[in-house]
Amino acid sequence: METRVGSRACACVALLLLALHASLGHEHIKILEDEETPEDVKSRTPEEDQVRFRSPGGDVRVQVLGRALVPGVRTQDWISNARVLLDGDTHVGFIREDGGFSVSDVPSGSYVLEISSPTYRFQPVRVDITATGKMRARVVDYIRTSEVIRLPYPLQMRCTGPHLYFIQRETWIWSDFLMNPMVLMMVLPLLIIVLLPKVMNSSDPEMKREMEQSMNMLNSNQDLPDVSEIVTRFFSPPKSQGRAGGGARACVGGAPGVRGGASGVRGGAPRRRSKLNTAVTYSE
Amino acid sequence: MAWLVVRLAISLSLLYTASAVFEDQVGKFDWREQFIGKVRFALFDTHSQASKKLLVATDKNVFASINSRTGDLFWRHVDKSGPEGHIDALLMYGQDAVVVVGNGRLLRSWETTVGGLKWEAVLDTGSFQSAALIGVQDFVKYVAVLKKSAISLHDLSSGSQIWVENLPDSDTVQYQTIYSGGNGLVFVLGFVPSSHIVIVEYKIEDGEIMKKKSVEAAWMSSLENSCAVISSGNLLCVDQIRQSLYTLPLQSAEHTEMRQIHLQTLDLEVASGFQPVLTSTQPNPAQPPLAEFFLQLSPDHHILLQLKDDLIAPLRDFNPSYLAAFATSGEKTVAAVMTPKNDTVSHISKTHQKKCLSIYLYCNGLLFLLKACSINLFSADTGRRHLDTTIIYHMDPNGGKPNRLYVHAFLKKDDSVGYRVMVQTEDLTLTFLQQPGRVVWMREEALADVVTMEMVDLPLTGTQAELEGEFGKKADGLLPMVLKRLSSQFILLQAWMAHLWKLFYDARKPRSSVKNEVTIDTLSRDEFNLQKMMVMVTASGKLFGIDSKSGTVLWKQYLEGIQPNSIFKLIVQRTTAHFPHPPQCTLLIKDKDTGLGSLYVFNPIFGKKSHISVPALPRPVLQTLLLPVIDQDYAKVLLLIDDQYKVTAFPSTKNVLQQLQDTASSIFFYLVDSSQGKLSGFRLRMDLSTELIWEVVIPTEVQKIVAVKGKRANEHVHSQGRVMGDRSVLYKYLNPNLLAVITESTDIHQERSFVGIFLIDGVTGRIVHEAVQRKARGPVHFVHSENWLVYVYWNSKFRRNEFSVLELFEGAELYNSTVFSSLDRPHPPQVLQQSYIFPAPISTLEATLTEKGITSRHLLVGLPSGNILSLPKMFLDPRRPELISEQSREENLIPYAPEMPIRTEWFINYNQTVSRVRGIYTAPSGLESTCLVVVYGLDIYQTRVFPSKQFDVLKDDYDYVLISSVLFGLFFATMISKRLAEVKLLNRAWR
Repeated sequence: METRVGSRACACVALLLLALHASLGHEHIKILEDEETPEDVKSRTPEEDQVRFRSPGGDVRVQVLGRALVPGVRTQDWISNARVLLDGDTHVGFIREDGGFSVSDVPSGSYVLEISSPTYRFQPVRVDITATGKMRARVVDYIRTSEVIRLPYPLQMRCTGPHLYFIQRETWIWSDFLMNPMVLMMVLPLLIIVLLPKVMNSSDPEMKREMEQSMNMLNSNQDLPDVSEIVTRFFSPPKSQGRAGGGARACVGGAPGVRGGASGVRGGAPRRRSKLNTAVTYSE
Repeated sequence: MAWLVVRLAISLSLLYTASAVFEDQVGKFDWREQFIGKVRFALFDTHSQASKKLLVATDKNVFASINSRTGDLFWRHVDKSGPEGHIDALLMYGQDAVVVVGNGRLLRSWETTVGGLKWEAVLDTGSFQSAALIGVQDFVKYVAVLKKSAISLHDLSSGSQIWVENLPDSDTVQYQTIYSGGNGLVFVLGFVPSSHIVIVEYKIEDGEIMKKKSVEAAWMSSLENSCAVISSGNLLCVDQIRQSLYTLPLQSAEHTEMRQIHLQTLDLEVASGFQPVLTSTQPNPAQPPLAEFFLQLSPDHHILLQLKDDLIAPLRDFNPSYLAAFATSGEKTVAAVMTPKNDTVSHISKTHQKKCLSIYLYCNGLLFLLKACSINLFSADTGRRHLDTTIIYHMDPNGGKPNRLYVHAFLKKDDSVGYRVMVQTEDLTLTFLQQPGRVVWMREEALADVVTMEMVDLPLTGTQAELEGEFGKKADGLLPMVLKRLSSQFILLQAWMAHLWKLFYDARKPRSSVKNEVTIDTLSRDEFNLQKMMVMVTASGKLFGIDSKSGTVLWKQYLEGIQPNSIFKLIVQRTTAHFPHPPQCTLLIKDKDTGLGSLYVFNPIFGKKSHISVPALPRPVLQTLLLPVIDQDYAKVLLLIDDQYKVTAFPSTKNVLQQLQDTASSIFFYLVDSSQGKLSGFRLRMDLSTELIWEVVIPTEVQKIVAVKGKRANEHVHSQGRVMGDRSVLYKYLNPNLLAVITESTDIHQERSFVGIFLIDGVTGRIVHEAVQRKARGPVHFVHSENWLVYVYWNSKFRRNEFSVLELFEGAELYNSTVFSSLDRPHPPQVLQQSYIFPAPISTLEATLTEKGITSRHLLVGLPSGNILSLPKMFLDPRRPELISEQSREENLIPYAPEMPIRTEWFINYNQTVSRVRGIYTAPSGLESTCLVVVYGLDIYQTRVFPSKQFDVLKDDYDYVLISSVLFGLFFATMISKRLAEVKLLNRAWR
């Protein structure tokens, strides 16, 4: 869920940036920009100048530099089983003790750089290298692949949290069940139905009249949901979760029995009926 | 109302499970073993006495640190595979290890305690020759790297380059070694073949050439093994042809010729055809090497020699001896020598054979292999043997010969030298031994390179077999049958009582002492057939039998003389189902170049070789075919087709040949010739010859065939069709003979490259479907199963991986619902296709498999990060609608989304990543819900997956307390209300 929200936010940012670019008069955003923008020059470190090599074949081989950071964790605790991967494992780099990393001998092209760690999660970054060896980093977008949202280079990889591999087991605790508002709504009327007649003296005619009056008032309000309906809705299993697999389907398959029974109750008991009726239906 | 509560509880517990791992399931039914590969360099950390580190660099481009007490990995760094990640050299000084990677392209320095990278330096291109640590005034400060045409010096603490110099005349002179004795000079040694040796002397500070000289050496063929520098700068070389040693002081100016010492004067002789090897030792890079050295004269003859005052004197002759190595601890240098322990072999001679037979079960036939070696320690400077330092090394009768010896020497409290050794054998077993021969740990590194594997059911126990046997026999009267049934039931009852008693007995003992050790004798099938035998074939030719539940290696067998580039194919001919016939596996070993093959038949449970006569295969084998036809011993028949299209049957008894003649007209097979782009189909004739019936040619100028896959033979499809939203049925096109052929274009240009997919009927050769994926390139991974084909390719236009799914349907009506025949299918199938973006690279792809095929399928995707993603096939359904309608909702179709989700909850191996996944093996278990998964690559990971969750067993967290409390509650409630109702009735009656 969280990631989806994140991506939506990213998309928003992307749109904004696009608008900005357009307003500034930048024309087309090519996949590989050959001309060097002023930012490029600024972000270059002295180190970067010496990382371009020309191999005997003539093609450019560059070194991709960056830094990875896991906030609140010492580097030596996580770097020994982390790797920097470019496009799968076609190019591999390792992380230094200060968190910096470099991937050497990368020919020109466009790559997705990711940090693979069994414990921590990092957002991948797309790295574009031109034929002359210029580099830039941008956000990975597999759907709109030509969209450019620049990221700083040398790369700053920041951990977005630990991997969540496990799902929580559903535990069933009595207090959870009893404190459920639905259960409370069901139990309280039951108590009232059972206890009220005993507490009140039904032979008193004044009381009888008063009760009838209040009953009429209640029933006249048609918009109030019926208790029976609430109860049936509660007992029929939620539909939305039955999608994950065949097993879930099996559960749903089991459920119609429940649902069918419940709807029968709904059909049998008209809306305008006393609460006593409901109670009788349910004690069957 | 009460039943509603129960129902609610059950449905709740079922609903909230998803196809992921729960935290409490960690390690419950899964395990991982990590491997490193064949060790090329191993260094013990001698920095401190208490250190347990053993640094290794392997041929799998792995650099790791092993705990020398337990054999576990402290850390491991897996570089990219191939020559670019190849580790050329490993040097160690203090806490740091320097590694030269990728033919001298990178220089990395690692901190060895936690495995962090200290620095990384990129070197100039050039083929790597040698690397050495350089010391100045007793301190090691630099590392020198020698390339073919240049030498560079780097600072050890920062990695910065001090200087780089081109070597003089590098186009004619082959420079091979560096030497530095700690006196401020670096010597680079090179030679011109059959001419002279070149010695160049560099100053450490600035790389200035101090001196350069060449010395006549017409006999020289290689510097690396036959030369060594010993004792303050003396170059020593050995020549096999002239049977001589040559010495030359490196520094002196007056010597212009090497001094020749005939080996005869030392009473030595090099074995003919053997390239002698010189081994010297330099304990401290800042000091000159020792004057003592080993000379290996033949594969089992070493001699320790000493150079003293220009004279060579033998210190000790080791004949016979397999391996010799130096080790240093503190100031003392020792030599460890492995010699055959002769008493074991000679004692088990004919006179002792009877006794031996009673001791050793496998004595017969393996007698000559039953050998032990003893390793002894000698002081390097005198050659004197250290007392009480013998380590007995028992060789595995099913293993290979030892070929490397690594010695870890340490000083004991009484200042004497103690040592431990690590022995590496031909079959890549690492054994760590300590005195007097205790195996501290063992690693089976052959498993780092698993080629193929199968899972075999475990045999039944005696009682189970007894019960099974009842059904197999022909009926012999009613009464005996009843009696038999009763007796077997009684036996079962007995076994159950014994089991209960054991449970009760074990429950009283503390947890730790109850250890269920799996041995080969206690193996038996469990009630759901979840535990199986994994038979793994490795590239080195070693076979393993591994228990799938615990990962214990139960048997291993090394096949000697396997060519390094062999192709293996493992076939299960008979499973364990045919008691009392033992299960039978056949391994076809095929040479990659010649195609000549041989068969190795063995019992997969015990690993023993069967004594069945195997057909000789004089011609290259093109194709193998396992038929469902069985012989009288219930072994499936294997057909081997050679390059003249002749068929050999195995087993080839009369019974089998008769059956083959009867069924020959319905046996078809296909051959693929990717070099000519030809697919051809053949039919078997009565006389076991073949006839060509179809041929499909895919022009090789345009595209080449990269893979051909049929469907798995053991796959079951449960439902014939799919129920649509309007209650009609869409029937699947289930052609068991369908082949998926994947081609790639020869043009690799980004705009013009494509991937082709052909679906061809293997019997008729009819092309059922053809698809082209433009602007795509490989590597293509694909799964072909049921009526669908899923493939992954690289979209070179958008630079992303894409999944595509093809599903074949017959339509609303089934042509012939009883039997499928390729020859009689007039209507072409309807083909549906959809593609998706997969936001990660892929290493391998496989589909889950279950017993009856009822469970929904998942795709298992191996990712380069080491995770295995379990992706529901539901996401790869070409009928996913773009617009949701009432019908699609009825069918449970997920609306189409271009990007495939990757959720970390779907990683079946959570943080137990598997490096370099090469294959995923899936096997059904006895439970329909459960599929067994083995992932292999550099590591091996075994687990179970439940694609539709565990619908046929109670889950681990099943709430027994709740269900029983509800039941009891209801019971008492009815009792009480009954009583109350009675009382009420009575009262009413009285009123």
